[in-house]
Amino acid sequence: MSSVTRNRLVAGDSTTSVLVARGVLAASALAFFASWLVLFQWVDETALVAGVHVLKLLGVALVAAGVGLTVVGVGSRLEYFESTPSSSAGLPVGFVFGLLWAVLGGLVATRLLGNALAMWLPVAAGFGIVGLLVSVLPREDVGSTLPVAAILVLLGGYVVVGGINAGWTWSPSWSSAVFPGSELVPLLVVFGALLSAWSAAKAREGFGAEGRQSGAYYLVGSVVFAMLGVLALLVAFIVKNGLETMLTRTSLTGGHLTLPFVGSVPWAEFPFLMNQTGGLFVEVPGVLPAVMGTLWLVFGAVLFAVPLGIGAAVFLTEYAERGRFTQVVEVATNGLWSTPSIVFGLFGLAFLVPRISGGNSIFVGQLVLGFMLLPLVLITSREAILAVPDEHRDASAALGVTKWETIRSVVLPAAMPGTITGVILGVGRIAGETAPLLLVFGGSPYPSSYPNVLGSFQFSTQPPFVTNDALLSPASALPYQLYSTITAGVFPKEIFTNTEFGWGTALVLLCVVLGLYAIGVGSRLYFRRKLHHE
Amino acid sequence: MTQLLGQTRELPTRLRASVTQRVEATRQWAHNYRSRTQDGAIAMHGAIFASVFVTFVLFLVASAWTVLPVLAFLVVMGFGWYRYQAEAAKALTFLTTVATVSILSLIIAFLLIRSEPIVAHMGLDVLTRIEQPLWTSNQGGVYSLTPMMVGTAVTTVIATLVAAPIGIAGAVFVSEIAPRRVREVVKPGIELMAGIPSITYGFIGLTILNQYFYEEFRTPTLGTYFAAGLMIGIMALPTVVTVAEDALNAVPESIKSGALAMGSTPWQTTKSVTIPAGLSGVSAGVLLGVGRAMGETMAATVMLTHTKGFPSPVFDVFSNYGETLTTVIAFEGGNASGLHMSALFAGGVVLFAMVMMLSVGSQYVEWRMHQKLGGER
Amino acid sequence: MSNTEAVHEPSEPAQQLTTTGESDERVREEWTEYDFAGDAKLAVEDLDVYYGDEQALQSISLDVPEESVTALIGPSGCGKSTFLRCLNRMNDRVKSARIDGSVQLDDEEIYTDGVNLVELRKRIGMVFQEPNPFPKSIRDNISYGPRKHGDLDTGLLARVLGRDDREQEADLVERALRRAALWDEVEDRLDDNALGLSGGQQQRLCIARALAVDPDVILMDEPASALDPIATAKIEDLIEELAEDYTVVVVTHNMQQAARISDQTAVFLTGGELVEYGDTDQIFENPESQRVEDYITGKFG
Repeated sequence: MSSVTRNRLVAGDSTTSVLVARGVLAASALAFFASWLVLFQWVDETALVAGVHVLKLLGVALVAAGVGLTVVGVGSRLEYFESTPSSSAGLPVGFVFGLLWAVLGGLVATRLLGNALAMWLPVAAGFGIVGLLVSVLPREDVGSTLPVAAILVLLGGYVVVGGINAGWTWSPSWSSAVFPGSELVPLLVVFGALLSAWSAAKAREGFGAEGRQSGAYYLVGSVVFAMLGVLALLVAFIVKNGLETMLTRTSLTGGHLTLPFVGSVPWAEFPFLMNQTGGLFVEVPGVLPAVMGTLWLVFGAVLFAVPLGIGAAVFLTEYAERGRFTQVVEVATNGLWSTPSIVFGLFGLAFLVPRISGGNSIFVGQLVLGFMLLPLVLITSREAILAVPDEHRDASAALGVTKWETIRSVVLPAAMPGTITGVILGVGRIAGETAPLLLVFGGSPYPSSYPNVLGSFQFSTQPPFVTNDALLSPASALPYQLYSTITAGVFPKEIFTNTEFGWGTALVLLCVVLGLYAIGVGSRLYFRRKLHHE
Repeated sequence: MTQLLGQTRELPTRLRASVTQRVEATRQWAHNYRSRTQDGAIAMHGAIFASVFVTFVLFLVASAWTVLPVLAFLVVMGFGWYRYQAEAAKALTFLTTVATVSILSLIIAFLLIRSEPIVAHMGLDVLTRIEQPLWTSNQGGVYSLTPMMVGTAVTTVIATLVAAPIGIAGAVFVSEIAPRRVREVVKPGIELMAGIPSITYGFIGLTILNQYFYEEFRTPTLGTYFAAGLMIGIMALPTVVTVAEDALNAVPESIKSGALAMGSTPWQTTKSVTIPAGLSGVSAGVLLGVGRAMGETMAATVMLTHTKGFPSPVFDVFSNYGETLTTVIAFEGGNASGLHMSALFAGGVVLFAMVMMLSVGSQYVEWRMHQKLGGER
Repeated sequence: MSNTEAVHEPSEPAQQLTTTGESDERVREEWTEYDFAGDAKLAVEDLDVYYGDEQALQSISLDVPEESVTALIGPSGCGKSTFLRCLNRMNDRVKSARIDGSVQLDDEEIYTDGVNLVELRKRIGMVFQEPNPFPKSIRDNISYGPRKHGDLDTGLLARVLGRDDREQEADLVERALRRAALWDEVEDRLDDNALGLSGGQQQRLCIARALAVDPDVILMDEPASALDPIATAKIEDLIEELAEDYTVVVVTHNMQQAARISDQTAVFLTGGELVEYGDTDQIFENPESQRVEDYITGKFG
């Protein structure tokens, strides 16, 4: 229709602006990574690189990026470079830039005019409006580069001339913390680098829709990269710190295994996993009681929650008419699912503890974790049952098979893979759960024996006829062990400090939980593949 | 006015009509049930429900005889399973469903019952008191939850500011931008991250983040709202990413192709078609993340100072105060009693109510979007 | 392949052989040259498409004349949809697909470096098998393309600066909807969600949406296969009308439909080969190839 503009189908290329834009991208990336290194203190903020302070180098990178952006933007506006900019950079960009300018103006005003609100607020507002107008009114190539370039050059220049250095501090009246230049500069550079990468990526594709896509992808990509980096660092940190503790005095043949008829043979020794935590004669304290406690907790919770969850899922999908009742159940399930874990702990404390054990105990812990596992089992098995095609049910019914037989021999087997996956993922979740255990489960911080549940059953003629002291006593579990190690004062043995023992426990816990998750994800893949073969 | 009167006069008639309808439906159901079920099975159903009911009542009064009806239930169930398997299975699945609902009801009931003493003692002050003393067993017991509510709000806001934008960016990246190979690695990776226990995050926050802020930013204490909020935000990230990514992935491929075939770039497609279409799921993911952040206990318990009070100004996130609803319960619940314990239960009620509101809110958002989009597609 | 080459080739022996009714299959398969007056809008030459190791299209050469309806028919799995999606490079999105050969739009190669896909898809619009309106209002569906291409601006900024294109937008929406014969049905509910329309209306909305960016070519992938007979008839009428101004290429598995609406027909058979291409009348009444005749008369698998 007539209002539609047409451009060339095959674009020409403008190598100069692409080269400059790439240069800016490279400078931004460099500044981005270098700032993280300084923030993580892997590089000292007063270090010299090639005879120049690191912070000043960061400033130089910002200035260079700013100059590069100006060249690309102005060059494109003056038609030196071929580009396809839109008529305006758009309001969202304008607001972001305006906000940045306002912050800049506010900072400048507080430095020059003092901290009074009446002084800095008008200046900040004025800067903000100018920033907004400069980004929005001109064509996109100018509007999306110059406002950023100005900020970069000002900020970088101020750092380069020594306006902010490592020793400089900023202590605003509203904050109890003090912001030193050594941290503030890399922080600002991180944001500056993101901004300049955004603009440069736009410029590289010649602005317009393609340019905005490139810019957005760069921005999203670097944010996600940083996120994944942080998450990976967390795991790496635990592994690095915990490994030494966990491997203390391990050896492949140092231990002994007593076999019938043969006697004692050399066996792998793994004291951190095989030893008690407390006790007089333990040389290397271990986490065996906590591991056993976690196993019992998970076992009990699964025994309680899986039949309940699957039963309810079957009733909801196969028997119940859709109506008020199913709606109530759905709301209740979602409610249970989002109830905070500590509330489950309170409930166990109020309802179960006085009626079952009169104090912290494994059995109550199992039940409470079972309550937490229940909604997840219900939701996943319900989804799995719903995913079984109605054709299977019809085919079975058409053969004259009763409803229950159909459910038992057709629906449930088909829904098993999904249910198993859900259960495993849920178990991974509750195995790491700590909060309710503080209220209803945990015992001594350094247990010297693990719960002997199987050996503690006792029968009597009095009701309730069967008792189990171990099940009704407090114990330890991996996450609880980690918590009590962190909060307890001094570690009773000299071989570890509290923190070292904590890292070791955290690593074992991480292995258990992530192992369960990996099995869950793996079983999902396995069942899916099996399904495709049939 | 007369119309109103007429309506009021009509009311009993209408009520009666609805009651008779209900009764009629029940009678119909009972008739069907009786004619379709064998007498033995009916007896079995009766025995099962009676034994379960007696079990529950005996358990509630903490009787040692609870074991008897449990045994009776097992015997009846075992016999029923052998004799009338279909009917027994149906009754069993119905019982499990009722059990699920009753767990939530019991949670609500017991939270309310146990928090009644503190409300009777302090009235609404338990939620609104801002004068000293805030939390003491002296003066007959003063327990104000206000500082903890502020603390929960502050940490939740910080966590949301971290988790929402980055989480959505992550979801967009995984679902729309990343090449297939990258996605196949990143997606299970992020799912795995969701499994890291919160106490582990707390330990890292305690040993690294708290230390870092204390040394570099000279915070008055080890442990601030900011550090805790940051850690909780990072912890909620995988949840937000996973749920939001599922929502974006569920937007039909045909709509995306339609936009691309119009000549819009992939980013324009994502921004103006995919994200608006998947917005309900994305916001549900964010709300879920916020709920997790609010209910998060361990990381905050380990990292915060457990000093109760109001920072001034209230957004001074680096102050020496640090206590949230969850941390106070976890930290003091082990050795509290009387009014103190009751106050903790009241904290549980507040927490539960806030999280429920979020949960219902996210379901409402989803429902509204569904309406707006004109139903199934 | 441009049609000038096609004109140079009528004296090829293969062509003469087949006119004699010889049943040699190998020779008959050469019968894909189609001679027409005027310019070729789209010229495809030696197009091969592979999905992984599997070859989906085998060396397809075909010229599409301007302002006409070209039907692509054949059994399912014969590659006709794949071929269609090559014409606006939608197959680029399929990661395992490898495409060799040449496609020219107005004598400009579209499989070459530096092609602006946005511009290409502005010129070659597409309508899909299932109606796929965006979950937005009817108005926003139509103005989506022009807005994204920067030809319409009704945003807040434009309103503040007085550069608002509301009138142009209203005008464009009306013209596009009228052209797609949908205006009368939706005139008074332009702000309603497009998902509330019936299937046939949705499909016409998708056509209107494609027309709003003023393409030269419109590709349709079985546009009526998900619709009831009445809606199908409306779409068919619409296609014939559109051929006055646009070049329409339509994939269909419905042979009657192809016979009704198209000017020329290309028959694809299993394995991704183009077996015969020519005037629709001639293909349906007197096909050159035995296999095409079998397919049309229903003897083919």
